[in-house]
Amino acid sequence: MPPVVEISALRRTFGSVTAVDSLDLAVERGEVFGLLGPNGAGKTTTIRVLATLLPPTSGSARVCGFDVTRQPNEVRRRIGYVMQQTFQSGRYLMTGREAVEIEAALYHVPRREVRARAAEVLEIVGLTQHADRLVMTYSGGMKKRLELAAGLLHHPDVLFLDEPSLGLDVQSRHAMWDHVRMLQGRGVTVLVATNYLDEADRICDRLAIIDHGRTVATGTPDALKRDVGGDALLASTRDAEHLVEVVRGEPWVRRVVPAGGEVHIYIDNASVAIPALMRLALERGVELERLSYTQPTLDDVFLLHTGRELREVV
Amino acid sequence: MAIQSERVARPLAIPDVSGGAEWLQEVLALARRWFIMLKREPLNLVFSIAQPALWLAFFGMGIGRAVDAAVVGTSDYLGFVLPGIIAFTVLGNGVASAMPLLFDKEDGYLDKLMAMPIARSSVIVSRFLYQTVLLVGQVALVLGVAFAMGVRLAAGPAGLLVLLVAVVLLTLAVTAAFLALAYAVPGHGTFFAVTGFVTLPLLFMSNAFIPFSAMPGWMAVCAYLNPLSYAIETMRILVLEGWRAHLLYNLGVLGVAAAALLAYGTHEFRKHTGARVD
Repeated sequence: MPPVVEISALRRTFGSVTAVDSLDLAVERGEVFGLLGPNGAGKTTTIRVLATLLPPTSGSARVCGFDVTRQPNEVRRRIGYVMQQTFQSGRYLMTGREAVEIEAALYHVPRREVRARAAEVLEIVGLTQHADRLVMTYSGGMKKRLELAAGLLHHPDVLFLDEPSLGLDVQSRHAMWDHVRMLQGRGVTVLVATNYLDEADRICDRLAIIDHGRTVATGTPDALKRDVGGDALLASTRDAEHLVEVVRGEPWVRRVVPAGGEVHIYIDNASVAIPALMRLALERGVELERLSYTQPTLDDVFLLHTGRELREVV
Repeated sequence: MAIQSERVARPLAIPDVSGGAEWLQEVLALARRWFIMLKREPLNLVFSIAQPALWLAFFGMGIGRAVDAAVVGTSDYLGFVLPGIIAFTVLGNGVASAMPLLFDKEDGYLDKLMAMPIARSSVIVSRFLYQTVLLVGQVALVLGVAFAMGVRLAAGPAGLLVLLVAVVLLTLAVTAAFLALAYAVPGHGTFFAVTGFVTLPLLFMSNAFIPFSAMPGWMAVCAYLNPLSYAIETMRILVLEGWRAHLLYNLGVLGVAAAALLAYGTHEFRKHTGARVD
């Protein structure tokens, strides 16, 4: 079966700025796929191309087998697009129910089904109780859930979520993740753009790490982390350069990467590495301020492929 | 067909037909949005509907007494100024009409609409529909007040229909012009600066309060280039004179102006949404 979303050699420029530069991507039916990268990496531009709002400068993008440029209406009928922002003007003086009913009609839901369809999507996101309140009075999390509901009105094949938990409190984020998993259970393919490592880790079956408009790595979160290799020691010191010099080449070290005032030391065996590192630091006069030991995170994955930490870039 | 065999979509939960019925559903849904907003702001409705009637009372009872009947060419000053006031109302409506579309554009909601499977035209047509309904209310009230103050249509009741045609054509022209502006400007600051600047000159550089015959040459040139003048002239003939062949000429010019401005408005809309796939 061909992928639900298929992007090849996608390039999109705005004047002299290249937002997306040769991006390749294939999202399979039924998976939750993440685009992970810092702000400005080209995630939103990619999603806007898929949502038929921006024609590619070159390359191609297909959704459900339809070309976004040549068959935009076929694409639009099959996608739900939850944008990064919630709307002031678009929801002005409107209740949640009215807002989704109007959009149900815009998706050409048959007239006699509009009410039921609106009630259905409001129920899914848990807004039934608040459906007849003005959207202006909603909390940030409720507004975001309303936008998710509006994206489900026509039972889309694919859902594009652009930073679904941006600006949400912890509780709302978890609720949003639950909704995503539930939709996946219903057979919806989900493409999520995010710059949150934990979000990508928690909800995505597969990820593409995006930097400067290019895919730098693709895989399941576990496989990506495995590529980093072994475990990671995180050492803080005033003299990072010296520490790198000291440990580089030691038999128990797989790779050393300085980033953000810390030194990431990738190792195979912590029980060997930690004492060895302590001894070396003592012998060579490197003062360690803090030392921690972690499993590799997606931050390490990003660091491995771009030389920068994602949390630093964000 | 290769494209068909590559489809990986499930059956659509929405009908896969396009045409008139779908378009009508879109226009009505979007118009519903405008009417809900109006319903939630009753004072907006009251002031919009009442304003022209208030102007009429103001002009008729006040300024009318200071006007020389020989200059305006009739002793029926209320009948003379009524068309000007209706045209002024349409002008004000035009600014108000473009505003929510301007905010939708800045808000990103227009983008959301553009990612839906809807005809581009339904966004604009819904606004014209809303504006026309509001206009009919305004015109009915101002005509009622004028009637109570003794104004009669020389063309008789059938003249009302022609008057309404002129007002609707003017609404199309003016609304299209302000929509074009809303889509062309970089932000709402420019929109309000421009509309604030042009609205009154547009009114005064027309025959709303001064007949062509009493204008200095340069002003008459401006007034002749102003679509407002042709709507006003049409209404004025209907009120003061009755059925005249000149009505056709005025309606014709107005129709051409409306068509041209609609084309321009559509062009600006397309240009703004042009970065999007169409």
